[in-house]
This record gives sequence, C-alpha cells and structure tokens, in this order.
Amino acid sequence: MSPALVTVILASGLAVIVARRRSVAIALLAVQSLALSVGAFTLTGGRSAAFLVASGVLAVKALVLPVLLYALMRRTREPHLVAAARGPVSRLAAASALVLLAAVTVPRIPGTGAYVEHAAVGLLLTGMAIVATRRPALHQLLGMIVAENGCSLLAVAVPGGLAYLIEVGALFDLVLAITVAALFMQRIHTLLGTGNTELLRGLRD
Amino acid sequence: MTDAGRLARWAALPVAAGALALAALAVAHGSRPLYDGSWLLLDDTGGLFLAVSAMVGLAGVLLSPAYLRGREGAHARGSEAWYYGVLFAFWLALLAVPLCANLALAWLIIDATTASSALLVAFSGRREALEAGWKYLILTALGLSLALLGIIVIGIAQALIHHHDLSALSFGALRRDADLLPHGTILAGFVLLIAGLAVKIGWAPVHNWLPDAHSEAPAPVSALLSAALLPTVTLVAWRVKDALAPALGARTAATVFIAFGVASILIAIPFLWRTMPWKRLLAYSTLEHMGIIAVGIGFGSRLALTGVAIHVAGHAFGKALGFYSAMPLGPDEQPTPGHPRPGLLARRRLPAIGMGISLGTLAGLPPSPLFVSELLIVLGGIATGHAAVSIVVAAALALGFLGLLHAMLEGVVGDDAPGRVLPAAEVAS
Repeated sequence: MSPALVTVILASGLAVIVARRRSVAIALLAVQSLALSVGAFTLTGGRSAAFLVASGVLAVKALVLPVLLYALMRRTREPHLVAAARGPVSRLAAASALVLLAAVTVPRIPGTGAYVEHAAVGLLLTGMAIVATRRPALHQLLGMIVAENGCSLLAVAVPGGLAYLIEVGALFDLVLAITVAALFMQRIHTLLGTGNTELLRGLRD
Repeated sequence: MTDAGRLARWAALPVAAGALALAALAVAHGSRPLYDGSWLLLDDTGGLFLAVSAMVGLAGVLLSPAYLRGREGAHARGSEAWYYGVLFAFWLALLAVPLCANLALAWLIIDATTASSALLVAFSGRREALEAGWKYLILTALGLSLALLGIIVIGIAQALIHHHDLSALSFGALRRDADLLPHGTILAGFVLLIAGLAVKIGWAPVHNWLPDAHSEAPAPVSALLSAALLPTVTLVAWRVKDALAPALGARTAATVFIAFGVASILIAIPFLWRTMPWKRLLAYSTLEHMGIIAVGIGFGSRLALTGVAIHVAGHAFGKALGFYSAMPLGPDEQPTPGHPRPGLLARRRLPAIGMGISLGTLAGLPPSPLFVSELLIVLGGIATGHAAVSIVVAAALALGFLGLLHAMLEGVVGDDAPGRVLPAAEVAS
C-alpha cells in the first residue's frame, strides 16, 4: 500500500480525536474507510479472488457505515456542543505520542511494511485514546471503529492477504456492535437529553 | 408465567440436555479429543466448560420469570419476549465457544456475545444499568479489537510459512506449526491477543467494566457472565497458550497468565473486605477467581490443571447460587457502608441460606470444592518451581477467605434491627 494512502488513513484517525462536531468526525471516518478500501484494491493484483471480495467488503463498509452513523447522529441531536475533557491540542498530542510509542515499541513483523505496521497499531491506540478523551457517545463509537480500521489496515497488508472470512466476520461483528451501540445511544439520549457520557459516572467504589 | 416464559422454558430443556450429552460424551472419551477438526473440537476440557455453560444457562432461563415478575408496567410485559430472545442468543453463543477449533471463529463468537450481553446488562433501563452496559460494550469491543490485531499477527506468522487459509488459525494447525513459526512475530501476536482477551475476561488491571456490569445486570445474566462467559473466554486463551507454547517458550506463555492472575487476585482482595451490595461483592469475587484460574493455567502442571477444572465447576456453582440468592433482595437487605449488618438470616431465610452457602463456597471454606482446587493450584505451582508466586497467592487467598467470611458473618448472620429501612439517599451512597 502506498505511504501516501497510509498517511491519509492515519491522519484522518488522528483528526477524529480533534474534531469538535460529530458530523465532521463522521466525515473523517468516511475518508479513512474509503482510503483503506482504495488501498486494499491497489493490492488485489496477483492476489486471490477472495482478497478482491475482502476489498469489496471494505468498500461497502466505507459507504454504508458513515450513512448509518449520520442517521444516528440526526436521531440523537445534541442541544449544544459537548465540551471535551481535554483541549484539542492536548488530545492530539496524547494520540500522537501513542502513535510514536507504537512505532518505537512494537517489534518488526516480517512481511508487512514497517510504516503500515506502525500505522495499524497507532490507529488502534488512537481509537482507544478517542474513547478515553471524548465525552459524546457517538465519538466513543467512532473511536471503536477507528481501532477496528487499524486491524483492517494490517489485515490487508498481510503478504498474500489474510483469509477474507476474517474480514467479513469482523465486519459482521462490527455492524452488530454498532447496532447495539446505536440502541444504547438512543436510550442514553432519551434518559439524559444528551449523549454526554460524562453524565454517566454514578458507579464508583 | 407469560407465553414467552413458557416457550423459553420448553426450549431451554432440550438445548441444555443436548449440550450436557455432548459434554458427557467428550469427558467420557478421556484425554484424547472425541473430534478434532479445523472448525469443531470436542475434548474433555471443552466438555467441562460446555457443561458449566449449559447448567448455568438452564438455571438462568428457569429463574428468569422470578426476575421479570419484579418488573411492572406494559413496557416490562412487552419486553419479556425480547429479553428471552437476547438471553438465548447469548447462551447459544456461549455454548458454541468451547466447541470452536479455530481461533478466528472463537473470536467472532466471543465478539458476538458482547452485543447480546451488553443489551442484557442494561435491560432494567436504570441509569446505572445503562452506564454499566455502555462501559461494558465499549471497553470489551476495544479489547476484542486488540485481540483481533493479535490474531492477524498470528495469521501473518502462518502466512510467512505459506499457510494462508483460515484453517491455519485452528488450534491444531497452530500446535502442528508451532516449531516453524517466527518467535518474535508469534510473541507479539500472543501478547496482543491475551491482552485483548484479558479485557473480556476481566483480568486486572483491565477489569473496570466487570464490577459495574455484574452488579447492574439482571441476576440470571450476572450468573451467566460470571460463571460461564468469563471462564469460557479464559478457555480460548488457554487453548492458544497450549498451542503456541512450543513457539513462545513454555516459561514465557506461563508468565503472561501468572502476571494477569496474580494482579487480579491482589486487586480483588481489598474489595472483598469492603462493605458493598451483594452483587457487587460477588463481582469482585469473580475478579479474584478469574485470577486463580489464570494462575493455575499459568502453572500448567497436571496438579494445577486438575485444580483449574474443579475451580471452574465449583466457582460456577457458588457464583450462580450467590446471584440467584441476591435476586429477591431489596435495597434495605443489601450491605452498604451505612448498613453493614442487614441480618439477612433473621428476615429472609431462603436467600440468606443461599447467600451463606455461596459465600462459604467462594471463600473456599471446607468442604467447598474451591478449597480443594485452590490447594491443588498452589501445590501445582510449588511442583513447577513457582514457590514464591505460590506463597503470594496462598497468602492472598487467605485474606480473600477472611474477607468473604467477614461479609457472610456481618451480612447474613448479623443481627441488625429487622425491618429497618434506610433512607434512599443512604442506600444510593
């Protein structure tokens, strides 16, 4: 996969942690997912037909997920912007530090490009950082998907391609998780009038 | 009982009977697997976990009407069919995991359990239940993404020796190819996978969702989570350890399990000494017991693994009984910081006896099977040269024993003024 595409995938993941508006964050995720599917299609030459199917699955995911997330956003309108726990600069700095940490600490995996490998692990950690630092439930859901895209990036980079059933199965599970998360978001919104998960902090020991 | 309840009861009996028959066949066949294919594995270890999930699931379905009866209103009645549908989906997925011969397939099914069980955790619709369900969904989904990354790395290791298809991720293929797999890649994959599964198992320090989800879920679901789901995911981690040990080095694989196990036990112990509602106390006890199972798997000797098998069964009995006993208890019958002695025995004899037996079993009070299993695990550790770890574990278990015994004496036998009702604010605190 070309370094430019990998950079787009990584940069859009990092941008999700900074985006204030939910619509912008969804658009960034759409860009990331599209770049990922384009990257997969560029690798289909010389690979099996099953890999082509996996690339198609990623393309469907890139087109369908943002639409679903946008519909969910419309159904759970926020009365006003939810303030983040940390400022955008510190969030970006934290996520960038995690990406660098991944580049330094994760051992080289033969067969995949070092840049792809670091970007994949970096995206997974960025997804975790989004969940940890963003309060809106939708942003936390986006963090989950960014992390999953990190896995997909590494999966398509496997020499010869990984069994496409993993990709299909993982997408099925992702859709299931997003459906359940959507149900939760609607219930949280009904209960609190907002998707601000900061208000759900009653359970402590 | 509603139509949904009756239907669920009649459907649960053949499901449980089929699973138990399969488990009995697998266990009776001895140490050699009854069937070992690329997708399906039927062995004695899987049989044990299958039997546990079958029993706890059956009890959960049969006792669910008692839980649902406590809910009132048209919405509650309408949601019963939904409750049973999701409960069955969760239970069937749990029954499938011990039969999975393929790591990727096992991951997919475990991931699917997250969706159904998260919905069940939040079933009551209370604010706290929503918080617990959301936290559980997001944290375990992230953990399972980490585990997926580990599986992909293991898949890369297999691809490097020209095994590209999905069967390369079966436990049999991993065991067969272990000597050929590159050490560094396999180590990275193993650590990522186990760290990811640890979130789902609830091993410390990635256990944050566990006390909340167990305490807020309906009691039959709490029992399934604690007694069946967490041990079942542990079984997958155990199978991976066994398959990859030749590539990793037995010591390395064992160390990861022992580290998670000891951390879980040590973090759980202080909470077992604190006064808290019954289900929350049982949740922290789960953290301790998942730690003991991890340590036993890490020790890996025949003695320790026999202890693990007894522990899984004994823990399932004790924990399920505890959650079911807590089901009919109201807020004024819960130990809280302002009300540590609800004197349950004087007021609610049957739940008190159930809770007493549960806490005694979980504490390892003889003749509890957990006394035997913990002894076997500690002795197994000493036999494999882990004397220092075994001593730490034994000391921690002694403290845990005293903590649960204290909870039993204070909360069950305690003689607080009967019928005292706490102010809502005090209960909430």
